[in-house]
Amino acid sequence: MTIQIHRMKFPLSENDSRKLRAGDQVVIDGEIIVTAGLPTHQRLIRCLDGLESLPFDLHGQTLFHLGSYCQAKVNSEGNNQLEVVYINPTTSTRFNDVMPRLISELQLHAVGGKGGLDARSVQAMREIGSVYLSFLGGGATLHTQSIQEVLQVGWSDMLMHYRLMRLRVMGLGPVTVAIDAHGNSTYHDAHTNAQARMDQMMTFLDGARDQTPIN
Amino acid sequence: MSISPELIKTVTAQLYERSLKKIPPDAMDALVGAVQVESNDTARHTLRIMIKSAEEAEKSGQFVCSDSGVPVYFIRIGTQVQFSGNVREAITQGFDELVSTIQPPLLPHITHPLTLERGYKGVGMPIITFDLLDGSDCMDITCSPKALGSGRWAALEIFSFPDLRTIEKYILDVVARAGSQPCPPVVIGVGIGGSFDYAAKLAKEATLRPIGEHHSEVMVAEMEKRLLAGINMMGFGPMGTGGDFTASAVHVNYAAGHGFTPVAVAFNCWINRRTRARIFNDGRVEFLE
Repeated sequence: MTIQIHRMKFPLSENDSRKLRAGDQVVIDGEIIVTAGLPTHQRLIRCLDGLESLPFDLHGQTLFHLGSYCQAKVNSEGNNQLEVVYINPTTSTRFNDVMPRLISELQLHAVGGKGGLDARSVQAMREIGSVYLSFLGGGATLHTQSIQEVLQVGWSDMLMHYRLMRLRVMGLGPVTVAIDAHGNSTYHDAHTNAQARMDQMMTFLDGARDQTPIN
Repeated sequence: MSISPELIKTVTAQLYERSLKKIPPDAMDALVGAVQVESNDTARHTLRIMIKSAEEAEKSGQFVCSDSGVPVYFIRIGTQVQFSGNVREAITQGFDELVSTIQPPLLPHITHPLTLERGYKGVGMPIITFDLLDGSDCMDITCSPKALGSGRWAALEIFSFPDLRTIEKYILDVVARAGSQPCPPVVIGVGIGGSFDYAAKLAKEATLRPIGEHHSEVMVAEMEKRLLAGINMMGFGPMGTGGDFTASAVHVNYAAGHGFTPVAVAFNCWINRRTRARIFNDGRVEFLE
């Protein structure tokens, strides 16, 4: 089997999202929004409940669970500009409870991070036409090289890696389509297979243990 | 001759910085070896990107992972060592200075467990465990910063007179629960016996053993081998998106205890952050990792 690598424009359209299959690789060009904060996600839910306003429009956008460190830098025209010093994924399962609503109500056609999302998100992603992209944990140097510009910062009152950062990237990835818009989840498959193999693994361990000499 | 707080401060800060910007050679060797045997195409691809990421970080002086974790030190002090000042204070000051000077800067990861406020300081930080080295004239320091990614999935359970099968089943269950989440391929440390606190310490120390080094007792070494083979039948693979290579090592440490037997399981993610140095009474410093 050869790996399919797709270079795609973000925010990802529903159409492009539905073209991808679990196991494919994607290289990202365009605009993405990132945050690593649980409080940020809770605040987004407050926005959906009408208790607060979104800092900028997130509908149809891409939301990745990536934390970033930013600092001000003087650009070639002598103006202060925000620069991303590094960026890296965080564990997405931490956001399992809020992601189905965010995916559905904000029509997020691409989400991602590392570690995956549970069945409730898989269902929402199927309905909306959305993919989950797995970023390499411990890939800070590679991920950071693709960042072109900080376009907008939402909720600057929060900790740096909790803020909503709208970024322009070029050649981010390749990242793995780990959940596709057709209900396939590599995480679900891996988990189901591991549980199904538990008896087999124990039989293997029992056999190997019987062969082991006591010191 | 004695070890000065100034030297302890410098060395512990350096160990922390180094641990963030490269991966240990044994972790790199494990990845390179895995590429040769991994049967899943996506997994092999992910392993290659891991190798590239570690190489790029080291070359450019950047962090491998953005989550620098919390500073954790394991220190063994030779009984012949003399100190010319305070040790814990020196390590704390070393970390404070590192926070204000390190490039790129660190994100605030130190979290108050009751209020969830985050910053660069906290009660009990850095986390330091002290032990003794009988007869030695050096201070042996290992730094292994810990973050949520793999730290979250450690677990401990206490059994009454368990047989080996019960212990091994529990280890498999903990690994299966962590599944795709701790940035596999992981190093799994297991601590068996002792007491509640001591089993956890044994497990943590087991994660620090270099990959490929087995326990000195045949019975335990064989247990490590079969657990690794068994766990790599699970299929989580690199970054948990499927593959053969879920763990690069299982290290088991044990201590005698009572009939109640704690079994602790801890994880290191694929970058396996670990650096180590020795400081001698005469001021010599030897960086081992």
